[in-house]
Amino acid sequence: MTAQGPETEHAAEHAARDRHQLRTLAVAITTLAAVLCAVIVTIVYALSLNRLWFLHFPLGLYLLAQGLLIFAVVVTFWYVRVQERIDHTRSVTEEIG
Amino acid sequence: MTALPRQRSPNPHLGAYYGIITAAFVSLAILLAMFEELGWSEGVIARCMILLPLALYLLTAAGSRTLDPEDYFASGRRVPQVYNALVLAAITVGGVGFFAYTGAVFFLGFDALAIGLGWTCGLLLAGVLFVPYLRKAGAYTLPAFLGQRFRSRHVRMTASVLQVVPTALLLAAEMSIAAVVASIFLPLSFWLAVLLVAIFVAAVGILGGMRALTWSGSAEFIAGAVGLAVPLIVVSVLLTHLPAPQFTYGEMFGSLQSAETAAGMLPVTPGDLAPALTGPAPTAVTKPFLQAFGAINEAGFLLLFFTFALGTAALPSLLVRSGVTCSVADQRRSTAWALALVALFVITAPSLAVFAKLLMFRDMALAPTAGVPAWLSELSGRQLVQASDVNGDGTLVASELLVMRDRVALALPMLAELPFVLTALLASAGMAVALAAAGSHLFTLSASLADDVYGVLDKRPIALPRLMAAWAAIAACALFVLVFLLIADVDILRMAVTAFAFAGATFFPVLMLAVWWPRCSAWGALASLATGFGVLFLVVTVGGLFDAAETAVGTGLASLIAAVLALCAGVGTSLYGPGSASVETAYYEEMRKPEGETIFDQAQARTVSARKTGALREL
Repeated sequence: MTAQGPETEHAAEHAARDRHQLRTLAVAITTLAAVLCAVIVTIVYALSLNRLWFLHFPLGLYLLAQGLLIFAVVVTFWYVRVQERIDHTRSVTEEIG
Repeated sequence: MTALPRQRSPNPHLGAYYGIITAAFVSLAILLAMFEELGWSEGVIARCMILLPLALYLLTAAGSRTLDPEDYFASGRRVPQVYNALVLAAITVGGVGFFAYTGAVFFLGFDALAIGLGWTCGLLLAGVLFVPYLRKAGAYTLPAFLGQRFRSRHVRMTASVLQVVPTALLLAAEMSIAAVVASIFLPLSFWLAVLLVAIFVAAVGILGGMRALTWSGSAEFIAGAVGLAVPLIVVSVLLTHLPAPQFTYGEMFGSLQSAETAAGMLPVTPGDLAPALTGPAPTAVTKPFLQAFGAINEAGFLLLFFTFALGTAALPSLLVRSGVTCSVADQRRSTAWALALVALFVITAPSLAVFAKLLMFRDMALAPTAGVPAWLSELSGRQLVQASDVNGDGTLVASELLVMRDRVALALPMLAELPFVLTALLASAGMAVALAAAGSHLFTLSASLADDVYGVLDKRPIALPRLMAAWAAIAACALFVLVFLLIADVDILRMAVTAFAFAGATFFPVLMLAVWWPRCSAWGALASLATGFGVLFLVVTVGGLFDAAETAVGTGLASLIAAVLALCAGVGTSLYGPGSASVETAYYEEMRKPEGETIFDQAQARTVSARKTGALREL
């Protein structure tokens, strides 16, 4: 058991690291994809969206001037929360290990 | 084993200090409003409103003076997240955003929104992709991070030299707009105003480096926010009866369209306006606000958006602030707060443009019956607009009123016929934000030249020569930009587009590879840096002869192509050239651990410990 201890600990640390990196990558891709896709779709369909009105604004203009910015702020704070939870999980796993 | 972070507690009285600074700024504005009613001249009011806050910022910087390298280069790594966010937002928006972006929205309406959206998404990209890892690395400059990541002096020095172009362009743009505002409201010629601005930003940088920039920059951002909000809210209440301009300017679109039509503004098509992004010279407003993709088409809008997004994400002046907070989590939250503040500004800017345009063209439409509006002579006197009845029909139409893009924000209180103190307040606010941004760009440029070029060559472990090199670099860079501004005629928005294009093409690909790809080698990083910068530089200089990259959209396209080529060059060289060393991979792994002391501070601690052990052995 004493001979296997450091190896097991090393393997557990590697597993925790890989899990942390995978989750970090997934949340980064999700965050950026959500915002960038929303921006691109809005720009491409802005002329069509401008035929609809929202809060006295043409919808395409509203989204590019306000809606997407509010969305980006919300997504950023969501990202911060999720990433902190992921980091915390890794710290706890390493402490237990 | 991960080293535990040192306990770094921020000053508990910061809230009180900034409460006092905000109260002092607001009280000054109220006092001057009272003195205006008592008959003080506009010149005295403008001088007090601009010079007294300048003295306050300089006092704050003097109070933050330091000779400690960690304080000088990283603000002691104990800046609370929100205060760092204030400075990050000031650097992102700057005087370019305050004056040129609002002016561009005034002229181009819908089509200019790509810039603001690019800034906001750029901060998101930076916050997700780079900032937490740069915080863990803890390097004092962006080139130093690249040098440490790849264990290469060549990468460090190359990055330091290449960051001169985007940083110096933005520095020149910010100093120029601050000097323009000073020369309008103070009895100074333009060159004296440039000298005043250069002395101010150099003094702040020399006194306390990053520490002074943090605390004076926070004060400047607060002044900027208050100074923008107050006149805008007053105009909003006058026009819409609600104090929330961001959400009420939509109600004005009906009146705005009528005024634009009456003034002779007809829909335009891409190519009608040359250049697509209006220049700083007096220009007639020809495009209706609501018309989408009139000055640039959808592809141009997307290109401009990506240019600003990638440029902001990889801007050295923003990323250099990644090491100033207490932890990785704090730095991430700080970037999120900065993004929220920039988004708030970007949401607000169109309301300023809509109100200014409505007031200007509504009154002009009434001119035949109500006479020439009173604001016209005031704006003409201050050289904010030029009006001439070209066809001699006794009325003014849009094509006969030439407006200066960068002065639209200053014109708003005069258009609404508000007391002069609000114009001075807006000028003081814009100047404060421009100075905060200029100071940060100057420090980033100089600190890098001193630490990444001189620091690499001089290996002595003495702090003072390092600081003296930084002081000398700050003075030299300020002098260089001063001379440049005196001989060159600059368009600050065009310079900003070029600067963001260079930052995106040069640093975004190499940072992606450094942070997200463990196999990237030093040669790959060098290839990426050289390709990104080289391709864009060639297109901007040599391509200018063939009309390539002559427009903002053309520069954006060249920047994106250069960034893609740089990414390919970095990947190709890393795969087929010499591989990355195991020590580089270890650095990559350590950088991704969210807990613990910064890698730089761990290395410093090991060096100090080794020196102590060596000294004991000698004894």
